Amino acid sequence: MADIAARGAVTISADGRSSLHKLMQRKSTIAFLMTLPLILLILVLVAYPAGYAVYLAMLNKGMNKFVGLGNFTFLFGRDTFWMVVYQSCLFAITAVIFKAIIGFVVAHFVHNIPTKGQRKWRGMLLVPWVIPPAMSTLAWLWLFDPSYSAFNWILEHVGLDRIAWLGETGWARFSVILVNVWFGAPFFMIMYLASLKSVPEQLYEAAAIDGATWWQRIWYVSLPMMRNIISITVLFSLIVTFANFDIVRVLTKGDPLNTTHVFATWAFRVGIESGDIPLGATVSLFMVPILAVAAVFILRDITKRGSEV
Amino acid sequence: MVSKRVSRRRFVAGTAAASTAFIAAPFVRGAYAAGKLSVGFWDHWVPNANGATETLIKEWADKEKVDVQIDFITSQGNKLLLTTAAEAQAKSGHDILAQNTFLPARYAELLMPVNDLMDQLIKDNGAVNATVEYLGKVDGKWLAVPATVGSQIKGPCSRIDYLKDLAGIDIQAMYPAGAPPKADGWNLDTFLKAAEDCNKGGHPFGIGLGTTSDSVDTIGAIFHAYGAILVDAKGEIVVKNDQVRQALEYYKQLIAAMPPDVPSWDDASNNKWLVSGQGALIMNPPSAWAVAKRDAPKVAEQCWTHGFPAGPKGRFAPFLPFFWATWNFSKNQSAAKSLLMYLSQASSAEKMVAASGGYDLPSFEKLTTFKTWAEEGPPKGTLYHYPNPYNHQTLSVAAAPAPHKIAEQIYNQGIQTQMAVRYFKGEAMDKTLDWAAGEIEGFMRN
Amino acid sequence: MADAAIATTTAATPAHGRYGSMSRDRRWALRWSYFFLVLFACFFLMPPLYMFITSLKSSAEISAATNPWWVYSPTLSNYIELLSQNQYLTFFRNSAIVSVFVVIITMVISVIAAFALARMKFWGSAALATGVFLTYLIPDTLLFIPLFKMFAWVNDTFGIQLMNHWWTLMILYPTLTVPFATWIMIGYFASIPKELDEAALIDGATWMQTLTKIFIPVALPGIIAATIFTFTVAWAQFLYPLAFTTSTSELVLPVGIVTTLIKGDVFNWGQIMTGALLGAAPPLIIYAFLMDYYIAGLTAGATKG
Repeated sequence: MADIAARGAVTISADGRSSLHKLMQRKSTIAFLMTLPLILLILVLVAYPAGYAVYLAMLNKGMNKFVGLGNFTFLFGRDTFWMVVYQSCLFAITAVIFKAIIGFVVAHFVHNIPTKGQRKWRGMLLVPWVIPPAMSTLAWLWLFDPSYSAFNWILEHVGLDRIAWLGETGWARFSVILVNVWFGAPFFMIMYLASLKSVPEQLYEAAAIDGATWWQRIWYVSLPMMRNIISITVLFSLIVTFANFDIVRVLTKGDPLNTTHVFATWAFRVGIESGDIPLGATVSLFMVPILAVAAVFILRDITKRGSEV
Repeated sequence: MVSKRVSRRRFVAGTAAASTAFIAAPFVRGAYAAGKLSVGFWDHWVPNANGATETLIKEWADKEKVDVQIDFITSQGNKLLLTTAAEAQAKSGHDILAQNTFLPARYAELLMPVNDLMDQLIKDNGAVNATVEYLGKVDGKWLAVPATVGSQIKGPCSRIDYLKDLAGIDIQAMYPAGAPPKADGWNLDTFLKAAEDCNKGGHPFGIGLGTTSDSVDTIGAIFHAYGAILVDAKGEIVVKNDQVRQALEYYKQLIAAMPPDVPSWDDASNNKWLVSGQGALIMNPPSAWAVAKRDAPKVAEQCWTHGFPAGPKGRFAPFLPFFWATWNFSKNQSAAKSLLMYLSQASSAEKMVAASGGYDLPSFEKLTTFKTWAEEGPPKGTLYHYPNPYNHQTLSVAAAPAPHKIAEQIYNQGIQTQMAVRYFKGEAMDKTLDWAAGEIEGFMRN
Repeated sequence: MADAAIATTTAATPAHGRYGSMSRDRRWALRWSYFFLVLFACFFLMPPLYMFITSLKSSAEISAATNPWWVYSPTLSNYIELLSQNQYLTFFRNSAIVSVFVVIITMVISVIAAFALARMKFWGSAALATGVFLTYLIPDTLLFIPLFKMFAWVNDTFGIQLMNHWWTLMILYPTLTVPFATWIMIGYFASIPKELDEAALIDGATWMQTLTKIFIPVALPGIIAATIFTFTVAWAQFLYPLAFTTSTSELVLPVGIVTTLIKGDVFNWGQIMTGALLGAAPPLIIYAFLMDYYIAGLTAGATKG
């Protein structure tokens, strides 16, 4: 396509090419018009408000004075902010790693069993991802409830101590990550499964003939073939997990001692609950550069791989 | 910038309109209000309690020929808070909106002052308590009318049987139905002793230490009982004082006698603790008891709502008021005033209290002795002492008397509960106080 | 496309039993696979199962704190109560209308734009494609306050009130769905052989005809995948409806359940779980029928992007 366009541009004066030339002339106009709704949507409802949020982040609390980067420097001096940075990274990275591992393992198990049963298993295992998270998190809240916890009921009946699922820092962090993994792992599973199916069977046969163990088959055949899809899913999941709001908000609201806050929930606490909207916007803004860096690295990896193939 | 200029002009126009409306058609009942009015009220937790408000508004609307749109907005998931923030930013929305505790002060510049209404209401219904005045009146201006619906005292609700069997306390004798309390011996020491005894007996007290309002309200009252103040009325940080240390020492002992997960309890956790029959005492308005009455009648029969224990500086109970506020960009301020007046009459308040099963609590002195509180049961008289009928305790709010903008953040971020948990977990006292001072310093931003 | 074809066709051919003489090995592998699959299924299905159990309980039974994993006196009263409430049906209707329209709007915008970006290289098209991806990085928690301000401006200048109307969500949701859908579709279109559209163009087809006659039919699995994705996102969205709608007549399902069934400190667990299960039903049904397309389309689009 690109060379057709180039040729069209070069041969402007050639008579025989004039109709094609016209087409090319019109092409960029048409293309622009075709992308116009997208551009408008992004400009009006994402870019402008995002720019406005940047402006908000540079106002004082009363929103009547411009303070430049004052809110940012203020945040750098707050212990709570650094704790939120730490917890956000811990939350997002741990959750994404476990989602990827569980998704990978489960995809292999599903791939292993006879084909006619696969659909059923796949359907069952996809359920967590299909339920709106606002609803399923409520079920988890109810499972973790201090007075009625169904988990603690089991623990008590096998003679163990009840666990303060959301009450102690360690367990509370574990719980919010667990729920996020539960919600997100099926998506990884389904993506990996599809990509496993696209690995040519001959590769495995060749590996088997060479006497490769199951572990070697995964390491030397599946993993390299799935590299792109792993990067992409990890990237998207990282973005979504980093910006997560519902799970922490519903389960712990940041308690105990602010130790489970992530960026979005702390921004909400600071901006909406405590009435400091500019500071809340500043906290939210910190998500963007961190995510952008991750995006650049992973996307670069993909394009590099893509050009090698 | 443009929007700001617009807003100022609209502000001026709004106040001008309000004052002309006031001169032309004072809010006296029966004044012709007309037009359209939209109200956003707090969605009540007690089943069917919205009904009374709805009926009253309809009555008024029929009389005044006003077309009223009523929304009941839950405070759950911060829905009401988000709505308030959205309307304040968008400068449009409900003509009357329910706002709780610190919100009227937060939006002081956007609210229509209601001094005229309040002067009249105080004359009719008696004085309001100091907490309502602190929260609702800024710089001599009443920003909103204290609402009957949703306002509450979060006093102790105890299990009669557990306190008697495990701690040897006859709470009904201390707070007899229909008579003044005989609770001189009910102080923080006896309270702690009772908590420890009940814990040993397998039915601990359940007082949350999270960052939601139930937890913060309780610790606020206990801090007040010690005279422990973090920021004084002038806005000076005074965290490092002996009263705060005493209060933290006290809480450390109290937490030891409670379930291990109280640091993350929310407003619902304590209710479940009581309704499930595990807890001996919680700090809550009667919604927990009302649910128990429906779902676990045997538990409800043993519940008794009563007063707070006294501390060295007095007997304080947390009061969480709701207000009805009108935006100064409201298009129909005269009708709003007329409706607010109507809803604040003693007869209206009594109907709301009855519909909420005694949960709602008018802020005016003469409105704390309705028969609902005397009659609700079982057990009969369980709510008699809920509205503080003998002024036995001082109604308070956590973080007072700090300036509102600071107090609000101390309250919403649960600084006091966090201090208590930190100190309980073994942090050195000075470190905890330093941490609190540092956090509060961060709230001084303008 | 090639991936997609393989993914769907291999589903029909047995993927095992061709490793020669290692049948004993395979039997064990199979047993372990089933063992772990059962374990994972327990983990994945436990919360929905618990929702179902709780939805069959009366509030008295829940409060009594009996065995949480067993229903002693099952009742359908929660279901009956919910489904006979107009309010709940209103939420359902709002959610359905909003989701369907968001799907239509999203697909129209993103398919057309993706075609232009994938096939009609023009000045700035590469930058635009990256820009689309970058919008995905902007969290919605950052945007709703500026949006309040913009809505106020719209109300002032045009007299159109955007706050507190369910149809406002049809304008807002595409910001969350269009970037991802466009991105998937760019990847999918890129995997279609160039000869196809070049031939069509030389035969005198317009760009629009090339899109509708050739690309859309060929890319149908990708379109279905993006559609399902969009529907799921629109159906589950929580923060925007929480922030922008207030009246019960305007709420969508997730927010409606959370704000009307949970009354402050009094959770009505039986009904909440019932409402949540019923709310999860439409996407579950859609996935049950269209899962194969979804998987095929999503992977093909994502790997090529």
